[in-house]
Amino acid sequence: MAGTIRVEGVSKKFRRWEPNQPMTLQEVVLRGFRWKRREFFWALTDISFQVNPGRMVGIMGFNGAGKSTLLRLVAGVGRPTSGRVEIRGRLGAILDLGVGFNPELTGRENIIISGVCSGLTRREVTERFDSIVAFSELEEFLDFPLRTYSTGMHVRLAFAVASHIEPEVLLIDEVLAVGDLAFQKKCMDRMITFKKNGCTGLIVSHGPQAVLSLCDDCIWLDHGRIVAYGPAQEVVMQYVEATGTLPKQPTPEAVGAPVDADDPGLAVGQS
Amino acid sequence: MTTTAAQWAFPRRFIHRRDLLRELLVRDMKLRYKRSYLGIAWTLLNPLTQLLVYYFVFRILFKVPTPNFVVYLFIGITCWNWFQGAVLESTAAILANRDLIRQPGFPAALLPNVTVGSHLIHFLLTLPILLGLVLVNGLPITPAVLWLPMIILVQYVLTVAFSLLAACVHVNFRDTQYLLGVLLMLGFFLTPILYEVSIVPERYQWLYNLNPMTHLVDAYRAVLIRGETPHLLALAGVAAVSLVLLRLNYVLFRRASTSFVEEF
Repeated sequence: MAGTIRVEGVSKKFRRWEPNQPMTLQEVVLRGFRWKRREFFWALTDISFQVNPGRMVGIMGFNGAGKSTLLRLVAGVGRPTSGRVEIRGRLGAILDLGVGFNPELTGRENIIISGVCSGLTRREVTERFDSIVAFSELEEFLDFPLRTYSTGMHVRLAFAVASHIEPEVLLIDEVLAVGDLAFQKKCMDRMITFKKNGCTGLIVSHGPQAVLSLCDDCIWLDHGRIVAYGPAQEVVMQYVEATGTLPKQPTPEAVGAPVDADDPGLAVGQS
Repeated sequence: MTTTAAQWAFPRRFIHRRDLLRELLVRDMKLRYKRSYLGIAWTLLNPLTQLLVYYFVFRILFKVPTPNFVVYLFIGITCWNWFQGAVLESTAAILANRDLIRQPGFPAALLPNVTVGSHLIHFLLTLPILLGLVLVNGLPITPAVLWLPMIILVQYVLTVAFSLLAACVHVNFRDTQYLLGVLLMLGFFLTPILYEVSIVPERYQWLYNLNPMTHLVDAYRAVLIRGETPHLLALAGVAAVSLVLLRLNYVLFRRASTSFVEEF
């Protein structure tokens, strides 16, 4: 296993959402094809770092700092406006839980479809099926439709599938704090096993404990810039001190706009 | 190291794409028929009802003299339904699968293929009925039916080309499906599905010749009703146009797809 992540001078510009941007062809025609000048903002500015084989780097920062955007760019979902991302090794990412899940299908069917959608071949999913089921501890409910599952059960199944992708380079977007305490510990142990096996990782987390126990280094992002980058111990301390309180709540699901559009501190670029 | 990884990755990637297409198709099929007692029968009910209605209106009321009118109609209806259903439904292909689009390396262009593929399966399910109608009407099944897979392939390419366009336009303009509904209705009546192209006045004939669906419908009819080889030049023309459209719309789709993740 030898995965490397190299990020060189990556910046990302997003189009600011226009309240009167045409959403329908009808509007476009009615306005006579006049396009409004678009405004932009920078979600990330000049980010550079490297993760060497077998190392794990945590990313911390307030909501809207650009963490998820960075992770997505590293995953190759969307392109940086400038700069370069280079990945060596087989990439696996847990950016969303329950990819491809459908409430009407049974747990069994969802495991297969989700596994394949997460990047495994059908055969690989079949080989890991028992292990996935054992991890989720949902043996009795496998043949019930997913809609009958509780939220906790849903999340367990989702994480069980997601954690069986066995990549060389792993990207995780704060999905470690799911389920009850016992299951959270199980997730954590699973991640530690990944690390022991030499997996390279980039982990967005709001839990200082998770970052401290998994990561060698840590990046503190704020307003799309790297505030601090160094040994996890130091950076996490700085970050926790800066927040002054307990760590913030995890970002809610469905992160539509990776950066808060109303944030006054943002650098707004001209088009 | 990189070369060995790449050598190993190619077949795996290929296998993964195939599995992805298959599993998404299976999911589509299961979702369509889960919790419905009649299951597949629903797919067949729709074209059969259309057949009944059009037969009544055009043969019984308007006394259209087209020979083998039942088969003639049914070919037109099923072939058009595949095209229309797939293109119309592709508008939802991207928006209904946000979670998949956000997966690293997920081939977004696969999604319209899943929609077209699932409508192809419906089309194939109606084929036994179609062949049954052919036999009931006393038409011989000739070796010309061996052209069927070829015609189906050409239609697949054409349909995917339009579906790619529909899928990526709809992400930005959410009224695309209404506009498409109107355009497809127009297409339905401007394609010789309910009537023969020979009754069209001379000065409009060129319009019909430009419509790829005209040639496709005719190719099916050549094979199944007239028992002869389809007009190969026309079929090749449609194939060429379909491939060019596919290429163009794929490039368009690729360009649009980098922003899919950000536009939602």
